[in-house]
Amino acid sequence: MSPAVVWTGIIHVAVGLALFSYKVLGLELALVPTNPEGVWQVELALSVRGTGAGALKAALPSNEASQIVFDETASSDGLSLSIENEGPGRIGVWSGDLKGIHRIVYSFRARLTERDAERPLPHAPFEPDVPATVTRRYQEPTTVFPAAARPVRELLEELDVPPPDDPSGRLRTLVAFIEHRVATVSDGPADALLCLAEREGSPQGKSRLLVTLLRAADLPARLVVGLQLEEAKTPDLVRWVEVWIDGGWFPVSPVGDFFGARPRDLLALRYGPGDLVDGINAAATDLRYSALKERLGPQELANMMIPDNTLFASLSLYRLPLPAQRALRVLLLLPLGALAIALFRNFVGLGTFGTFLPILLGLALRETQLVLGLAMLAVVVLLGVVTRRFLEGLRLLLVPRLSFLLCVVILCVVGLALIGDGFGTRDFFAGVVFPIVVLTMLVERFSLVMAEEGFQEAFRRWVNTLAVAVASYPLFKSTTAEHLMFGFPELVLVVMGLLVFIGGYSGFRLTDLVRFRLLGSSSETIPLTSLEYPAGSSRRALDGEVSGSGS
Amino acid sequence: MIYRRLRQMGVLGINRRNIDLTSRHNPRRLYPLVDNKLRTKAMCIGAGIPVPRLLAKAEHHFELEELMGRVDGLDDFVMKPARGAMGNGIVVITGRTERLFSRTGSRRMSRGDLQFHAASILSGLYALGGNDDMAMVEERLVVHPEFRSIAYDGVPDVRVIVYRGYPVMAMARLPTKASSGRANLHQGAIGVGLDMATGTMQSAVRHNAPLEIHPDTGERLIGRRLPNFERVLQIAVAAAEITGLGYLGADVVVDARHGPVILELNARPGLAIQLCNRAGLLPRLATVDRIADMPRDATGRLTMVKELADLWTRD
Repeated sequence: MSPAVVWTGIIHVAVGLALFSYKVLGLELALVPTNPEGVWQVELALSVRGTGAGALKAALPSNEASQIVFDETASSDGLSLSIENEGPGRIGVWSGDLKGIHRIVYSFRARLTERDAERPLPHAPFEPDVPATVTRRYQEPTTVFPAAARPVRELLEELDVPPPDDPSGRLRTLVAFIEHRVATVSDGPADALLCLAEREGSPQGKSRLLVTLLRAADLPARLVVGLQLEEAKTPDLVRWVEVWIDGGWFPVSPVGDFFGARPRDLLALRYGPGDLVDGINAAATDLRYSALKERLGPQELANMMIPDNTLFASLSLYRLPLPAQRALRVLLLLPLGALAIALFRNFVGLGTFGTFLPILLGLALRETQLVLGLAMLAVVVLLGVVTRRFLEGLRLLLVPRLSFLLCVVILCVVGLALIGDGFGTRDFFAGVVFPIVVLTMLVERFSLVMAEEGFQEAFRRWVNTLAVAVASYPLFKSTTAEHLMFGFPELVLVVMGLLVFIGGYSGFRLTDLVRFRLLGSSSETIPLTSLEYPAGSSRRALDGEVSGSGS
Repeated sequence: MIYRRLRQMGVLGINRRNIDLTSRHNPRRLYPLVDNKLRTKAMCIGAGIPVPRLLAKAEHHFELEELMGRVDGLDDFVMKPARGAMGNGIVVITGRTERLFSRTGSRRMSRGDLQFHAASILSGLYALGGNDDMAMVEERLVVHPEFRSIAYDGVPDVRVIVYRGYPVMAMARLPTKASSGRANLHQGAIGVGLDMATGTMQSAVRHNAPLEIHPDTGERLIGRRLPNFERVLQIAVAAAEITGLGYLGADVVVDARHGPVILELNARPGLAIQLCNRAGLLPRLATVDRIADMPRDATGRLTMVKELADLWTRD
């Protein structure tokens, strides 16, 4: 690579990255199109089946330091909802005639904020007095937390826990015991004493045992059940333990996930040993939690993405009218597609139909779903190729023939739209911008290659084209990529720099290696006559020997 | 692994060819000279380089009737697009009855088929970039007697790579049954690496597999000598000289009557020639780079290549 190429590349990348990092670090523009505050839309949906009067209880989240719950809505057919307080938490009780099946949906939005960093464990002296309410509620032995049981007492002696004036030490010792000496087995015992006896337990068993041990060591402790919220995934049920220390609750994971700082994706639902949902004279079925990270509306996002700096604010694309923004969003994704094309072409060496056709296809697939889009493509191209075959017999001139094909392709798309409508997938074709002309050229090229170089070659190239289209599809589908390219158009400079580097790459392509593999294999295996002659032997001797013996 | 071995051998890859050779030594403005076979032909005739005789040409659709009129008086000929690539769109007519033309590979076509083919050529169906094109009709070349037993149903040609005036590598391309008489390697023709001093066949490859015997005729290839090889190199070098291209592939056919003639020239010659010769191009190009600045006429350069050939073959 010549120095001029290297410098051109470096300058582009550097300028692009400098602008980008200034906007991210200096102006604090958001890297992802989601709310940095982390607002989640959470929904609990379940069916209740009962025989008569009864109730269904479900743990509801409540406001606390690290979570704010708002916009609660509940719907149920014919049941009345009352909310009871249970310690720091709340329980929703749906009651009424539960005969038959009732559907309950409860949804809310929650903003999860990080509780001020990690709480350091206090050293003495610290708040020695524990309020009586806390002691009464969270230090007494219960059936679930048998803190007074003999094996528990024995274990405390055996562990040689630090004296009562060092609660931090006690906590550490007990958590270390649970974490390292009790195995986590997902279907292990859920009972505290069983868990202690077998030295293994489910996360539920381990957290129960931890609460039991803490209470036995005179530390008020409680069990928390919550949800781990994750994008595009059903939330997982998570249990952890909170222990009262230095005048506040200190969260600890029984499986070693965290100690002191509750992760930001945890939503607490219930404080106490009970289940999240409990039926009285009724059974809950189809219980499902679902969570969705809330995206910002265009206006909210625009407010966030237009910086205070007047120069950069005037350069922000978010100031443009919305239709222009929509067009530019697609346009700014194209450099990424072009980058993918360049990579495929110059590092891999795949032959496709047309240079940019694959990314146009990838872009078109974005409008449909991947599988449906590919199926549609296959149908259109197949019909097109068959028509092309038929046209061959008519000997039409090129441009009218192409135009005829164009009409066939359009009729195919119209027909598919009708079929799609018949199957009730109305949205499927909404806004399809399948580049019809591109499809027509694809049909023509496919037919030509098929005639000239055989079906195999045409099919191979078709597969390559689709492979590149499918590979670029996630790029086009990604809202993050779209947000990045639209919010930070200077990234196009980075892409340009990378393109310069790819353009200056004079090494082999993957397909070169395949093509010349014969040369790359070790020379002994090549049945070569001429190369193996000693340097001194004359050419005449070579000719004679080759035609004579043919060694 | 294989990457490093290919590098050691000095194999030229596509990226490197595009960056270091075609874009450096072949100015874009010279491309039309070689991309249009009619211009190549005119240029060669002007410089006294032998080419197949042009019998007819058509640039516009109204000229097609005239073209077909010429064709009617011919028994055998070749119709091809002036701007075609990779042998696409070439029809070789070997004989005819009253209504039907017979093509290579014992296919037949009617007069109407042939006229339609000419019209397709004019519409740019086979042209690079799909632009309008011209159809040309040439005399059909006759396989040299020495080639008859190793060429199946077609005319073999010799591809010579000329770099800065020096022929650096050459291969013969022999049509096979699988390539239906065409001399294109990717369609199954045999590529044979040639010794640059004598034109002796050294190694042969078909579809990436080495072979020593022509699969259709059963004739042994290795050790055979190409007829008139010196003259082949001579006209390749002369053609390169008049185009002004620094890196060029010349396709030469050894005709039974005229001897070697230039069939076409290529400004971005393919790389499979290295496979046929079992050698990379880069060491040879490097040698030429060291000596290219010394003033030598064409004869001097050809003598030089003869001396270098031993060295190259042994590499």
